[in-house]
Amino acid sequence: MFDFDATAPLMAVQFLILMFLLNKVFYTPLSKVLDERADYIQSKEKDARQRLAQTKQLTQEYEKQLVGARKQSQEVIATAQAEAKKITADKLAEAQKLAQIQKEQVQQEIETQKQSAMATLEQQVDSLSRQILEKLLGAELVK
Amino acid sequence: MESLEGLSVINSFHLATIEVGKHFIWKIGSFTVHGQVFMTSWFVISVLLIASILATKNIQRVPQGIQNLMEYVLEFLRDLAKNQLGEKEYRPWLPFIGTLFLFIFVSNWSGALIPWKLIAIPGSELAAPTNDINTTVALALLTSLAYFYAGFSKKGLGYFANYIEPIPILLPIKILEDFTKPLSLSFRLFGNILADELVVAVLVFLVPLFIPLPLMALGLFTSAIQALVFATLAGAYIHEAIEGHDEEHGH
Amino acid sequence: MDISSASVLAAALAVGLAAIGPGIGQGNASGQAVAGIARQPEAEGKIRGTLLLTLAFMESLTIYGLVIALVLLFANPFVK
Repeated sequence: MFDFDATAPLMAVQFLILMFLLNKVFYTPLSKVLDERADYIQSKEKDARQRLAQTKQLTQEYEKQLVGARKQSQEVIATAQAEAKKITADKLAEAQKLAQIQKEQVQQEIETQKQSAMATLEQQVDSLSRQILEKLLGAELVK
Repeated sequence: MESLEGLSVINSFHLATIEVGKHFIWKIGSFTVHGQVFMTSWFVISVLLIASILATKNIQRVPQGIQNLMEYVLEFLRDLAKNQLGEKEYRPWLPFIGTLFLFIFVSNWSGALIPWKLIAIPGSELAAPTNDINTTVALALLTSLAYFYAGFSKKGLGYFANYIEPIPILLPIKILEDFTKPLSLSFRLFGNILADELVVAVLVFLVPLFIPLPLMALGLFTSAIQALVFATLAGAYIHEAIEGHDEEHGH
Repeated sequence: MDISSASVLAAALAVGLAAIGPGIGQGNASGQAVAGIARQPEAEGKIRGTLLLTLAFMESLTIYGLVIALVLLFANPFVK
């Protein structure tokens, strides 16, 4: 079982030969491939990361613009609302004024009519009272 | 061995045999080598090489099929080395630690998954290459050399300062550690794999069907963990040799 | 008692005794790991990984005993 002979050194030589051959056909080429792939992946990842950053920046910009546009539109809406309010207030005021004037006119008319009616009534009262007096006292006395 | 011959009575059964320490000897000049170890290790090596060549033959940016698998393996090995050696230092040591892990892992699993025993060879039987102490000792000694090399190439002769670093009284223990490290590395791997195959063999000998299956699954698990442990420890030893009072002063 | 029977006994003792310490150690480690997971369930993956590694280390202590037992049984240097 423990009989050492030329097997051991020959095996060692054989192992070293295997090591060199494997280094030629296995370790060196495949290591190169792995390293190249790692580089490739790294560069691609970097590229992708850059693109991601770019898109992020762009989205931020768009969002900023969107916010600005929204603000503007709100401003427009606010001014339009204010204008509309003002217009309605003006119109209302005008209408109220008109109504006031018409009311006053009508009141005046009523007043004049009332006065004229009063005047005619007074005349009538006068003439009636004269007639009453004439009837009671006689025409001569009344003059 | 004659007096222990009684233990190998089980070898007379045809269903399952338990063989330890029998080798298919090849002679190269005046040296002897264990043929069965080399046969399976060549299989393991060719599996690794073919898988890597297939994976890198037609490299694409989006991995498919075996390229995907091998990339996963490579990332796993990188993490393993990175955890032990740190982000800065791990690259030059990735082939060593990675190959340690891959070789041991594929060896162990081939021993557990492939029915080597069905292929008859004279005088022995095929098993995982890590089933032989020569393989594990070779790997462990390579690890020792690797961490010595790492220390010397990083600090020159200043590496010896590591031996008397916290207090000089630890010098004998530190020297002893240099011997126990490869010893424990090789014995841990060898013992685990051998124990695994022995337990399965004994169970197969007792109950040939179904009962050994859970233990085989456990064996797969342990052998994976042992490969991980070996590679992790190799990384830890190398890291220990590299980092030293330089960085501590830098703090 | 001749060498071979002593070897068989020693092999049995080697595995059996070598299993005690790591058994206690593994029990301790697993208990602590379970407590850790209960206290911090999100760290489960990390705790499990470390636990498996440490369990493998402790396991190897028993394996050393097993290696000695195997040496005594199959490659005994004292039995010719």
